[in-house]
Amino acid sequence: MSKISIPIGPQHPLLKEPLSMKIDISGEKVLGGSLRLGYVHRGIERLAQKRNYVQTIHLVERVCGICSHIHTTTFCQAVESLLKLEVPPRAQYLRALMCELERIHSHLLWLGILAKHVGLDTIFMHTWHDRELALDVMEEITGGRVLHGANQIGGVRFDLDESHFPMIHANLEKLRSQILGLLDILENEPALIARTKGVAPVSQKTIRQYGVVGPVARASGVDVDMRRDNPLPPYDQLKFSVVTMPDGDAWARTIVRAEEIRESLNLCEMILEDLPDGEVSKRAPRNVPEGEVIIRSEAPRGELFYYLRSDGTDQPARLKIRTPTLAALCLLPVQMSDIQVADIPVVLAGVDLCVACADR
Amino acid sequence: MFEALFYLLIFPGGFFLVLVGLGFEWLDRKLLALFQRRVGPPWYQPLADLIKLFSKEDLLPKGGNELVATLLPLLSLCAVLVAGLYVPIAGFTPYSFEGDLIVILFLMSVPTLAYYLAGIISIGIYSILGGGRSLLQYFSYEVPFLIALSGPAVLARSWSIEGILTAQFTLGSFVLFQPLGFILALVGLIGKLKRDPLDIPSAKSEVVGGSLTEFSGGKLGFWHLAMNIQAVVGIFLIINLFLGWTKLANPFVAILVFFLEFLVIVGMLSSASAIFARLRIDQLAGLGWRILVPLSLAQILFVILMGV
Repeated sequence: MSKISIPIGPQHPLLKEPLSMKIDISGEKVLGGSLRLGYVHRGIERLAQKRNYVQTIHLVERVCGICSHIHTTTFCQAVESLLKLEVPPRAQYLRALMCELERIHSHLLWLGILAKHVGLDTIFMHTWHDRELALDVMEEITGGRVLHGANQIGGVRFDLDESHFPMIHANLEKLRSQILGLLDILENEPALIARTKGVAPVSQKTIRQYGVVGPVARASGVDVDMRRDNPLPPYDQLKFSVVTMPDGDAWARTIVRAEEIRESLNLCEMILEDLPDGEVSKRAPRNVPEGEVIIRSEAPRGELFYYLRSDGTDQPARLKIRTPTLAALCLLPVQMSDIQVADIPVVLAGVDLCVACADR
Repeated sequence: MFEALFYLLIFPGGFFLVLVGLGFEWLDRKLLALFQRRVGPPWYQPLADLIKLFSKEDLLPKGGNELVATLLPLLSLCAVLVAGLYVPIAGFTPYSFEGDLIVILFLMSVPTLAYYLAGIISIGIYSILGGGRSLLQYFSYEVPFLIALSGPAVLARSWSIEGILTAQFTLGSFVLFQPLGFILALVGLIGKLKRDPLDIPSAKSEVVGGSLTEFSGGKLGFWHLAMNIQAVVGIFLIINLFLGWTKLANPFVAILVFFLEFLVIVGMLSSASAIFARLRIDQLAGLGWRILVPLSLAQILFVILMGV
């Protein structure tokens, strides 16, 4: 059959965010593909230079709609390290609690999208339903489901009291039982396994060449997790294991993410148990002393990188954000060969697209 | 004359089939919603969708053949409506002749071929992909489907549906002798209707809308109607071939039993779409030729040996 090229995006039922791929196919075989980005570029890095530090928190929160909290956390940690400000331990724990809840809801969202792409709408509906449990907890403690406005330089803007705990524990318990059921289905559903196992596997070497991070790298056997490798408090005091799989295919990524949800649930319980007493924030000065800093943290999709340079005023001189999705996106054209047309959604979903993050 | 018109337009043809087709779509969507912890649509939703589609602007890309694009959905609708005329409903059929099963099977294949042509004539990459896939799928499910449906005919020694139905009154329901054939017929029906999990030709995340990507407005409405009626006729056919019980003297009881059997099969189809992930086209071809065809041949061998 002759070669034809099909457009995936910028508008396509497959994509929730704009992204453009041209994929060359011959019959049902995919020959190759090319990628075009930049549809949701908002110039956030430049905008940050026009705003003061307090305003920039709310700006970087809007980099991503799913992992908004980890962006503000990383930015605040960068500013705090320039200020040499010691954050109260209770605030650190509360930040970590939000990060883990965010990871749970991000991974559940992703699982649903993968299931939808392979035609398993039931799993999609159920995971998104369960995701609401995590969102409810976030709303209960910070007031926001998606944009939390939870961080400030020097701490957090919310506190937990005794009345919150029963609800949080109940929701986490419910989530845990749902995740166990979900894992059981994922590991045993023959059609899902047939659709994801062995689809476009990525070797450990390719992962390292492209600098891919996060669950995608861990599913290829690259043992990397910023929470463990470069721990910012309180992760240096928390115990958790990093899930890796050797296969590197969509199936391995599914299992890695599902197991990570379980780890995150454990972490949430641990954080709630060890939660130190004390204040939740410290007053920070308006101007930040001259200097530059790099902070790396683990977002749901992998290593998040913030570079911040200050010139001594109340505005950042330069803010550079490197999101985990960008590297994973570069992997897409590599994977778009020797697969079938029906595998395109699986491959696209496999890297956990967050185009808004990548474009900024 | 009036009798013939009544059969054609009201019952068991035209109006009745449209009504049951819309009812089927609602029931299917509602059941699927319940399986997925959703609320689901109100009972009039399929009708509202249809009315909305007919009031929409009807567009076709430049270069598409307007006449053929209009005729194809109408042709499929006519084919399935005519097929519905010959399928007995609760034992009642106005026209029955030796060999009507074959006619129905032929008429039921028309929409698939029309669907393929629709993909080819409407200019669009996704349509062509969907059309090609529908033909590939056709060759995978149709053979086991036909073999499975000929099982009852062989057992009853008749190619008329009424003959098969009456044979079951004495021999007993054929699903008892051919449970495998019944399952294969259901799988074949799912493939024929391009329903989830065999919705490969119209898989949204892969080929957008399949053959019907470029269709809109009234034409799309006719397509949806044709597919719903095709589903209803297919279910009626399977009920007649496999689920005929003893002859019921009371027509109300007969209608009630028929309706319950209809509900059971709709439930089975809905749960199949809720449970399984969509297969890849090569996996479907493998399933069809490596598993379903040998199974259906084993079933028909069993039936022949039973008849000897």
